[in-house]
Amino acid sequence: MLKLPLRWIAAAVLLINGFFPALWILLTSFKSDIELAQTPITWLPQNPGLSNYIHAFSDQPLLLFLGNSFAVALLSTLLTLFAATGAAYALTRLHLRHRGLILTLLVAVAMFPPATLLVPLFEIMRGLGLINTYGALILPYAVQSLPVCTLVLASFFQQVPKDIENAAMLDGCTRLQALYRIVLPLSAPGVFTASILAFVNSWDEFLLALTLNAAPGSRTLPVGIMLYQGEFTFPWPVISAALVVAIVPLAILIIVFQERVISGLTTGGIKG
Amino acid sequence: MSVRTLFSRQQDGLRNRLGDISEASLAFWLLLPATLLLGLIVVYPVAKVIHDSLYSISLFSESGPVFIGLANYADALRDPDVWRAVRFTLALCIVTVPGALLVGLVLALLADRQWKWRWPVRLALLLPWALPLAFSGMIFAWFFNTEYGVVNDLLRRAGFAPISFLLIPQWGFLAICIATIWKTSSFVALILLAGLQTIPRSLYEAAELEGASRWQIFHHVTLPLLVPALMVALIFRTISALQSFDIPYAMTQGGPARYTETLSILINTTAIEYMDVGYGSALAVLLFVLSMAVSSIYLRKLYKGTL
Amino acid sequence: MSITPPLRIIGLCLLLLTAIPAQAETVLRVFIGGAAQRPDLFRTLADRYEASHPGIRIEIGSGASTSELQRKYLSVLLNAHDPSFDALMLDIVHPYQFATAGWIAPLDPYFGEEREKLLADGLPVYRQTNLVKDKLYTLPAVTDAMFMYYRKDLLSQYGIAPPQTWQELETAAQTILKQEKKPLLQGLSIQGAPIEGTVCSFLLPYWSQGKDILDANGKLALDKPAALRSLQLWKGLIEKNVIRRHVAEVKTGDTVNTFKAGNAIFAINWGFAWGVFQNDADSRVKDKVGIIRMPAMQDGEHATCLGGWQWALSNYSRNKAQTADFLRFLASPESVRYITLQGALLPPYLSLYDDADVQAIIPWLNNAKPALMGAKSRPLTPRYAQVSDVLRISTSAVLAGSLTAEEGLEDISRRLERILR
Repeated sequence: MLKLPLRWIAAAVLLINGFFPALWILLTSFKSDIELAQTPITWLPQNPGLSNYIHAFSDQPLLLFLGNSFAVALLSTLLTLFAATGAAYALTRLHLRHRGLILTLLVAVAMFPPATLLVPLFEIMRGLGLINTYGALILPYAVQSLPVCTLVLASFFQQVPKDIENAAMLDGCTRLQALYRIVLPLSAPGVFTASILAFVNSWDEFLLALTLNAAPGSRTLPVGIMLYQGEFTFPWPVISAALVVAIVPLAILIIVFQERVISGLTTGGIKG
Repeated sequence: MSVRTLFSRQQDGLRNRLGDISEASLAFWLLLPATLLLGLIVVYPVAKVIHDSLYSISLFSESGPVFIGLANYADALRDPDVWRAVRFTLALCIVTVPGALLVGLVLALLADRQWKWRWPVRLALLLPWALPLAFSGMIFAWFFNTEYGVVNDLLRRAGFAPISFLLIPQWGFLAICIATIWKTSSFVALILLAGLQTIPRSLYEAAELEGASRWQIFHHVTLPLLVPALMVALIFRTISALQSFDIPYAMTQGGPARYTETLSILINTTAIEYMDVGYGSALAVLLFVLSMAVSSIYLRKLYKGTL
Repeated sequence: MSITPPLRIIGLCLLLLTAIPAQAETVLRVFIGGAAQRPDLFRTLADRYEASHPGIRIEIGSGASTSELQRKYLSVLLNAHDPSFDALMLDIVHPYQFATAGWIAPLDPYFGEEREKLLADGLPVYRQTNLVKDKLYTLPAVTDAMFMYYRKDLLSQYGIAPPQTWQELETAAQTILKQEKKPLLQGLSIQGAPIEGTVCSFLLPYWSQGKDILDANGKLALDKPAALRSLQLWKGLIEKNVIRRHVAEVKTGDTVNTFKAGNAIFAINWGFAWGVFQNDADSRVKDKVGIIRMPAMQDGEHATCLGGWQWALSNYSRNKAQTADFLRFLASPESVRYITLQGALLPPYLSLYDDADVQAIIPWLNNAKPALMGAKSRPLTPRYAQVSDVLRISTSAVLAGSLTAEEGLEDISRRLERILR
């Protein structure tokens, strides 16, 4: 008897939560400024056209922002994965004396409000000569994603039967080879999830990007898109167009990636 | 770039030593990259925050920082603004963490099913997340706007008078909760989806053969096996809920009358806008202690075998 | 800081490496935040300066488009004593704070007698804003102030003269609203969201009663009855439906949009809005815009809120003398005249108000001048960020109806006393 309402609730959540805001942004990207100032508001664009998209590309180097964001997110994701894989394996498979402490410290990293860390971070990055380069963002982003990625990976590594790993080692693999050849591939969905988490964390970040990387050439998307606004104006139509341009490649990338991982998984993974 | 080459060199060193390295030294090498990263990026800033919290650092006095011990903390504990912000932050946490967990769970369950809607579901799962955080709060502020908001347009069409959601404390709280749940459910869904994927299909099939209902399968098969993923989602969602800044700030700027001011908004204004570095640092440490206290409940669980 | 010496050395080496080829010329880096501050115009000026000063190269750097984000960015840089910018264009509310924090340097050593000349030609209010503890810290780059915009067509249709007092404005708005019977038409649009503009909304009627927040020594001088009357003025206009009830959500841009769409009889906004109303392709009020100085309280002054942007010299600049010289060039009457003409921006110098070319570019200059002569500076205190927060949050809460005017006043007075004790 609960079946029907539950299904409808799920569908409503899916539609409203998942699609509505994005759809609204898409619709707005085809509206004009004056249309937005009208009351009552319009839902569908009155004179749909591409002028906002043209503005989005001509007013700011949107493709450059996109490329920068992509590079920063990709590099920081790789760095995170590298550090998190080792940490996760050590936490799950090795006899660590202070496992609890290490875990706590790792999680504690996420507990400081970034705003208070800004000035010292700026000093570190300047010391490293990284201000206004990708590096100034890659390192802190990798750190921000490290705790959650490590825990996600750890929860997957745990599911890999020890027997498979032991068998591989009997065949002459070292522990490290067993990690990279057996445990990691068997944890593909975990690795995938951790990479998306790290990637989107970096893709999203604003405050550090604003302060540590202000050079026009290496600006990332959120900071770049904010430049469309004036001191007192927030031109939603152009900003929406820029947001659509920012969202579409990311969504496609993740979904294609996801399909591949899943299909690879079902053909021969740990799922029995 | 220097850091990356450094890392790869370590890896080479590691490969050369392959042989039979002891478990302790393997642990050392495996934990080294993470340790280096944290050492480089986190240690100094956190030490500085803790140090600063013990000083009166006003950028406007010529005397420089003055050591005042725990006076900043004492001030904070006496400050009604701090207590109100703590209460509001906790309220936000209590509503949005279970909310995001529930919505995320629904999304994850739908996305894990092998059905024709899988692709749209996965898209729906990602979209809120792909919209940069800096704009998320603004979009929802717009949705709940009295004149130009979609929600009020629907109310008007249904024959109701518009409500100034963001100007009425209780409605403002609700609006912030909705926006937060929307934005963070993707994160939860993604982690839970990963967890669901580790559950062997054979278990479902066996349960179905035994004639278990869907609810029974969910309750007795899915849920217990999902606990590790739920814990990970819960910990990080809780921590980030305690740090709520962008969405509430963009929606209400803490208003009306500071009713929707979170602890993070207070820290941001104190440390950055007011340049009251000492007091702002003390508040940051208090937020850290609060996060630690709340998440230690989960962390203890985490040590006990679930991970 | 002591834990990073090796990093410092690496950083220093990198710096040296990059610095060697550039030694021949001095690079001055100027921060001009967003497009609204017209870096394009200042770029042409910088080109001229470079042409007449071989060996100097000017780079214009931008960070973010709003005053709030610019401040966030600059405060991190300057807190870390970063030398990457030599000159800064700052929102007029920031220099006092920056100067007290030691982030910007006094210009007196470089300006000498010129200081008096610049101050004498400037609008009277610049004598307060440009000085901190009697030292010259900033020079005006762009002037702005709040004005009262009104619909010329509607007022003349009903035979109403532009209002001189708030009482007259209320009557005018109510008369027109009653006759027009347009549900979307608002009497008056002001800023009421907890943003910087709302600080001005509170101060306009307060100042009009001849009161100020601080006395000459920077001590709190809040006049409670005047502050209460200020809050009550807005509350009253809301109750009489001259101002809409959701005003506590309204930001500067919303007022601009409302008036531009023809949905307001009166609107308070910055001078930049004139260009939007008059020139935007989608404006519905083109040639129907009137502009007057701010109405006064009963028997009060016509006070308005000074805005705009100021030039400052970074205290961490490694080329202070050269930068000061460039600032002298930027603040010179010729440069300012160029910016004024090209950008149709209000000039900070009195001499330009009689300039025929400027009058041709800014047709409402003669209306602007009396308003600007009465322009007031928002409180000049190192704790302005806190003062601003208190005023905007409490005023907004009163407008939203979550506090009564009395409660709002109580909140303002209690908090200001604590901040400025």
